[in-house]
Amino acid sequence: MLSVIRGGRVVDPTASRNSVGDVWIEDGHVVDPQSRAPDAVIDAAGCVVMAGGVEVHSHIAGGNVITSRLLLPDLYVSEAAPEGHPFAHAGGAAAWIGSTYARMGYTTAVEPAMPPTHALGTQLELADIPLLDRGALTVMGNDDQLLQLLRERQGGNAVRDLVALSVAQSRGLGVKCINAGGASAFKDGALRLSLDDEIPCYGLSTRQIMGSLLDAVEEIGVPHPLHVHCNNLGLPGADDSFMATLDAAEGRRIHFAHAQFYAYGAVDPANPGTGGFRSAAERIAQAITDNPNATLDIGQVVFGQTVTVSLDILRQFAGRKGAKPKKWVLNAGDAEGGGVVPFLYRPRGPTSSLQWAIGLEIMLLSTDPERTILTTDHPNGGPFTQYPRIIHLLMDKSERDREIATLPGVVGERSSLPGLEREYTLSEIAQLTRSGPAKLLGLADRGHLRAGARADVAVYRDDTDRTAMFTAAKLVLKDGVPIVEDGEVVEWRAGRTLSLAVESDRAMATRADAYLTERFGAGLDSFAVPDAAFGEGTETFEAVPCRV
Amino acid sequence: MAAWVKGGATGADTAIEAAAALLAKARAPVIAGLSADVAAIRAAYDLAGRIGASVDTAGSFGTYAELGALSRVGALTTTPAEAVGRADVVLVVGAAPWQASLLERLIDAKPTRGRAAGSERAFLALGANATASLAWPAEGGLPEAVGVLRAYARDHLAGDALPGQIAARLAAAQYGVLLYDPAELGEAGIEMLQGLAMALSETTRCFTLAVGGVGQDRAVVPVSAWLTGQAPRSGFGRRVPEHDPWRFDAARQVAAGEADAVLWLAAVPVARPDWLSAVPSVALVAEAEAQAAEVVISVGQPGRDHGGVLWNEQRAALTFWPASAPSNMPSAATVLGALTERLAAGQAASRSEPAC
Repeated sequence: MLSVIRGGRVVDPTASRNSVGDVWIEDGHVVDPQSRAPDAVIDAAGCVVMAGGVEVHSHIAGGNVITSRLLLPDLYVSEAAPEGHPFAHAGGAAAWIGSTYARMGYTTAVEPAMPPTHALGTQLELADIPLLDRGALTVMGNDDQLLQLLRERQGGNAVRDLVALSVAQSRGLGVKCINAGGASAFKDGALRLSLDDEIPCYGLSTRQIMGSLLDAVEEIGVPHPLHVHCNNLGLPGADDSFMATLDAAEGRRIHFAHAQFYAYGAVDPANPGTGGFRSAAERIAQAITDNPNATLDIGQVVFGQTVTVSLDILRQFAGRKGAKPKKWVLNAGDAEGGGVVPFLYRPRGPTSSLQWAIGLEIMLLSTDPERTILTTDHPNGGPFTQYPRIIHLLMDKSERDREIATLPGVVGERSSLPGLEREYTLSEIAQLTRSGPAKLLGLADRGHLRAGARADVAVYRDDTDRTAMFTAAKLVLKDGVPIVEDGEVVEWRAGRTLSLAVESDRAMATRADAYLTERFGAGLDSFAVPDAAFGEGTETFEAVPCRV
Repeated sequence: MAAWVKGGATGADTAIEAAAALLAKARAPVIAGLSADVAAIRAAYDLAGRIGASVDTAGSFGTYAELGALSRVGALTTTPAEAVGRADVVLVVGAAPWQASLLERLIDAKPTRGRAAGSERAFLALGANATASLAWPAEGGLPEAVGVLRAYARDHLAGDALPGQIAARLAAAQYGVLLYDPAELGEAGIEMLQGLAMALSETTRCFTLAVGGVGQDRAVVPVSAWLTGQAPRSGFGRRVPEHDPWRFDAARQVAAGEADAVLWLAAVPVARPDWLSAVPSVALVAEAEAQAAEVVISVGQPGRDHGGVLWNEQRAALTFWPASAPSNMPSAATVLGALTERLAAGQAASRSEPAC
């Protein structure tokens, strides 16, 4: 079937398109303009047409997310079920996640933290998120098996083979390391870890572990660069950890997760723990400008109640005393485990206001929005449902001023936000939420509307109230099929889970099986994510090739 | 496929038809047991969501003791493999954990990872025990005994009485593990135990670890959380998931006359509750008997007749179990899917009837 989206303002920065025009679609893909008469015409007059949004870092599945629901049953509000799905309006549920993203015009989302020990559970949960294509990053960097290899200096090939095996077994889309060595150190009594500190019992440092993973990712040809959660998240002086980590990457490709939480310069460098922090957004933004192989996502803070979920158990343990309400869960699990700490970003509080300002600042100072991607690190900085509001603030200086006027003076004293005049254009928003994340994930068929693109398309009514505009799309197509019309889901279809097609080494599989059997009493098979687990006749996974 | 309606053997279609009719008539149906693979648990929730049923599990007594404590005070936990690999001190709370297979693994091996690697593993006990190096009979009950230990750990009590010695030994541990069975310790005791682990972890590392459990409750909890945003017990009668451990207790609902139909799901065998015969009921069970319920449909056992995802106690994770003895028995998920389809067709038909 040939259809055309006619007369909308087509915003595709990858093709320098930003004017009224048509988008032609056939068999689930964007095609060049046709002379044939289309079978269907979609009128987009007065609308903005963009590629479907792509999410690179949002905690939408896995053990921590489940624990957060059990710890805070009342965090989300549920509404009566819509036609066609019993749980799509059940706050925080998988179907709610899928439908809420889809209504905002997002069509792909990646869960950034899948532990290989719990890959099957995470993948089953992801598969129950409807409407979107999904993916997950395989977490490495704290597991004894890897740390042993490094301690025994078994060499880069062994590390590469173990990483490839872990990604293949868990069916991940990429690799992430989370405070490498930090969870292991926590179990051995540590309370803090920096890049070159020695990790107890292994004689290794974060620098060594992360460096080996950076190399492995390149050698395997994982399209998404190593996704790095640095040491010292959220502490005054964390900007130094960020810079040190960037230096340690030595020019290799690297992605920094939720950079806002590291853009905290110590006010008193001699006593970082007591003097508080000031914005280091300029330093971070400049570093990204200067390092073309580095990218970041923001982790924008949003005011209000949320819950922090992280595999960085060292950090979560340290943060337990700030839990609000006063309850928290920490699992010193296989490898990382996980930590869940409820948190209130106090409306108009001085600390939360400064955090809020810093996230916006990094985006407004960015010289390349494709490499400074919008996230809230859902739910850590706040829920992803706030993206439309954040986009509004980026696009509208007067809207920002109105919000800043309600906030304490620290925003102006310790950040440069009030003086920033920049207003994001729609093209830049498309870079921030479409082309940037798609390129980062190595998904060449997404994030743009050129011929050959997957027909994942969002059509928004052009509205100066950008919050309203981006909250409920007028029309969303997934693979050419309308899934949202006038902000409501009209077709409950399942997307696919994107997983990297990676060969694993047989000798490493044999070694890993022996190791795992010794440690878990169950071998490699019990870590598998087989198609059969997803039901007969379902095609859950779609292979993404490695780089050549 | 073996199936019975009111004790009489019948074919699959007839039995599914009868089950659908029984559920369609109900105003407050309950789906209980949920001892099954993930595919069947998902199918049961889908059915419950579509017909407005409530859901309860086979092991909800222990499961809810755990979930209640979790939502009130949180938790500080570890896993079986971490306990085996790292623990230098294990406190066994009560009698039940001594029966767990994990105990054997803990007794048979020394810690091999982390700062306690190579040291001996000491066992302490609350409740009389001959294996443990220190055992406090705890005659006042487990929750109280855990509370006393916690008071020592927080320096609210001092001295070298037996509980004081146990607390001191835990404080001196490099990686302590507190083993308990939620159904035995109960909600108040679990809260206290989490507080003990948290107090000890101010200066060292100490984690709780639950053992035991009935049926596939440990699979139901995450599946329920991701499908509905809520833990069991929950109800869908008002088209929003409502989590209420008292209201949606299946045994209570039946005893109070609130439930007017029950679907019992036990593809992984568990003991059948005696209240099942008190209401019109459907049983989807692997070990089928004609008298188990008004409508009985025999289903395959996951991991035996067909592959399925089940809670793997040793791994403390959901893992896939291929069929060990493949058969043509239908899976519970298939039967539930057919039942949902039949009920949906019935609902559509009744909607299209003219109003009178």
